[in-house]
Amino acid sequence: MKYAFFQGCNIPIRIQQYATSTTAVLAKFGIELEVVPTFNCCGYPARNVDEKAYILPSVRNLAIAEKRGQDILVICNCCFASLQKAKNVMSKNAQLMEELNSILAKEDLHYSGKAEVKHYLTVLYQEVGTEKIKAQRVNAFTDLNIAVIQGCHVLRPREITHFDDSFVPRITEELIGTTGVKSLDWQGKLECCGAALAGINNDLSHRLLREKITGAQAAGAEYITPICSYCHLQFDTTQQNIRNGAAGEKLLPVLLFPQLLGLCLGIDEKALGIASNSTIATEDINRIKSLLGPPTEEKKKKKAKVAA
Amino acid sequence: MTLNILFGFSAVVCLIGLIIRLSIWFSQGMSPPAAPAAPVGTRMTEALKAVVGSFFSAKIFLIIKSVFVDLLFQKRIFDKSVLRWIAHTLIFSGFILLLLMHALHSVVTEPLFKDYQSTLNPYLFLRNLFGLMVILGVVIAIFRRITLKPQRLKTYASDWTALIFLLVIILSGMLLEGSKMASQSTFQRMVEDVSLSDEEEVKALEAFWVQENGLAPTNFQTAPPAEIVAKGKEINGDYCMDCHASNKAAFASFTLAKISPIFFAVFGDALTVKLLWYLHILACLAFLAWLPFSKMFHILAAPVSLLIKGVTGDQIREPANILTRQMIGLSACTHCGSCSLECSSNMFFETFQNDFILPSEKVQYLKKIAAGKETDPAVLKQMQQGLYVCTSCDRCTTVCPSGINLKELFVSSRYTLLKEGMPETTMLSHFSFPLALAQNFVDDHLQALKKVTDIFIKSFQHLADTSSPITLGTSKGFGNTTFRGCFSCQRCTNICPVVRSYDDPVEALGMLPHQIMFSLGIGNTELAMGSQMIWSCSTCYLCQEHCPNQVELTDIFYSLKNSALKKVETGVHS
Repeated sequence: MKYAFFQGCNIPIRIQQYATSTTAVLAKFGIELEVVPTFNCCGYPARNVDEKAYILPSVRNLAIAEKRGQDILVICNCCFASLQKAKNVMSKNAQLMEELNSILAKEDLHYSGKAEVKHYLTVLYQEVGTEKIKAQRVNAFTDLNIAVIQGCHVLRPREITHFDDSFVPRITEELIGTTGVKSLDWQGKLECCGAALAGINNDLSHRLLREKITGAQAAGAEYITPICSYCHLQFDTTQQNIRNGAAGEKLLPVLLFPQLLGLCLGIDEKALGIASNSTIATEDINRIKSLLGPPTEEKKKKKAKVAA
Repeated sequence: MTLNILFGFSAVVCLIGLIIRLSIWFSQGMSPPAAPAAPVGTRMTEALKAVVGSFFSAKIFLIIKSVFVDLLFQKRIFDKSVLRWIAHTLIFSGFILLLLMHALHSVVTEPLFKDYQSTLNPYLFLRNLFGLMVILGVVIAIFRRITLKPQRLKTYASDWTALIFLLVIILSGMLLEGSKMASQSTFQRMVEDVSLSDEEEVKALEAFWVQENGLAPTNFQTAPPAEIVAKGKEINGDYCMDCHASNKAAFASFTLAKISPIFFAVFGDALTVKLLWYLHILACLAFLAWLPFSKMFHILAAPVSLLIKGVTGDQIREPANILTRQMIGLSACTHCGSCSLECSSNMFFETFQNDFILPSEKVQYLKKIAAGKETDPAVLKQMQQGLYVCTSCDRCTTVCPSGINLKELFVSSRYTLLKEGMPETTMLSHFSFPLALAQNFVDDHLQALKKVTDIFIKSFQHLADTSSPITLGTSKGFGNTTFRGCFSCQRCTNICPVVRSYDDPVEALGMLPHQIMFSLGIGNTELAMGSQMIWSCSTCYLCQEHCPNQVELTDIFYSLKNSALKKVETGVHS
């Protein structure tokens, strides 16, 4: 299976490790990601300003994928939501579709809605499946507590994103479960990291971020696993920016899901770019690696329980 | 004599141009307002220090590497498009080789190759080959400019001028050579040069040249008989071949020689040769004089820019050198449009219809702004928006074939303009996210943001200001009508993480989410647009997801933000 890989604007320049680790993990399951240089911004940054300016870039990106005869695979939640929103608006507004298509026609592009948009977690969950993932592990974690932050725009609004149950999401949980780490229940799991307010209302943005950091730490999290690239940047960069004044605060380091899974699949930590997470120290990496061990069979556990 | 005067004149113009362009490097800059502009002297010494420092350190290896990889091979173009690389390499190498071998033959070729004769091979052949390379390159460049127009590649008259200049120089040269081949007068002159006086022999030689060397058959009504041609060939071998190879080697000019008789019929052959000679020389001299004032200045500026990138990796600490680097960058732009073609924001151009969203167009204008020549507030406002509608993906900087640090230029210019005090409404968008992340110009950002918020506050009615009861609105409906389902259960407000963040949310936010739905319900859109809540919305969609009656709150907030900005924008312009 081959997908047109939609990386958006932030990932290629700020979170390359998200792209490389996802590519490495998916390759293990025979899924190939093709970088499409003609893709441009998903439109999300313009959403506050102009709805049409927000929709048009995604329609163009979808038209490009359509021309290539490929579906799009996305790793950034905000890009994902923009592309899905564009599809939704196009399906409901034929007049707008015609108008935008006339703009695309200049570049010899046409949107008809053939290309599908898939989040990489959906692909891992549906096309690969947790069983197959488990079977391919060479390692699994024990005693590693992490806090997942889902990111808002992959879950909500559910009629647009079609990702998972937005109240009780389980796709991410089950996928994380394959690595053996303990995904904690914590308050901020389904909430906002504050990214959307950065640069507009920094105080509020930072307040929301702090709330998540302390919330996750209070729940006993050693690492945070952001699904969205914006969440990643909030935790991996802004966290350090706002910590400048208070060096005593404990840093909550970031570990991406494909990095966790990649380690379990036996992919080298360098290929996963773990050290590129700026909140992670060498001793963190060593500790994480020390928690890796041969995957234990769940069936045995169940049997043991029955026996007990 | 005339030639010397003309050459002297264009050389002087060129020199003055170079001095002007180089002085701009050290006198102008998109100065970050915080850093005091350094005097020219300081900037020149700092630059010199940096250059000398690089030469006498391990960085010399970076310079050598950059000379081969970036300057000669032009890897940055190659990496992006092989076709473009072919076009540029054809023009670049063809033109440079012609310059060295042909234009500067007395300085370069003759001292190097003792037997140099422009009419002998390989020179006769090479001149045409190099010329053809340039023509091919220019044709590909023209093709690229035309075919990429729909993808927002802008081409100005100055871009066409550069390409046409090259074509005129090469084609006039080829036509000149062709007309000399066909010209009877030139033939006669050569006959005199070799002191061939026997009429029979001259006639035979002429027959051979008509047959083989492109000479116009002025004196032959029909094709000359074979035995005369054969005799001519012998004479050619005896008298000519030592310093004149077969004209067929100059394949392009030889082909063009066939159209020369058309000009001969009008001007006569001697005058045609003379006119074409003037055309060719004048085109070359005009090009020389025009070079420093045009994008062709990149011949000098781009290598400097690429070397700076190669050596510093865009990490320059000395403020004086940052300014100088900015100006070198601006002057190295060839308006090739690579940045705009790959710009991640280029689709926003389609909606905003603002040329300055495209990086290549920004650069053209920043030169003017750096020189302090642009003062029209409308243009500056456009530029400010163009600088702000940018996703900070840095692709422009990655792809620029001239190695310009566009990112740094744009960030500095953005805050330089914002400092002017014109409010920029797109600051209230997620374009601000990467800027907050990078923590550039934090204070400037906050000040500029305050200007927008102030205007915003002034433009709308606020719930807190209404002493009288809230009036029923007059607005004619609102696009998203799901607010009608609101029955004020306040679920939205209760779940909102933003509301939760404030001790006194009504004071901080103006209105709470359910109140905004209520004001829409009574048709008072103005009041809803004036609430701080819509700008403090974290867009997490919790309210919308939890609404028991499917009110699309977050989407409605987005629409309110769009309308409010439009209203403020029209207010700013009126």
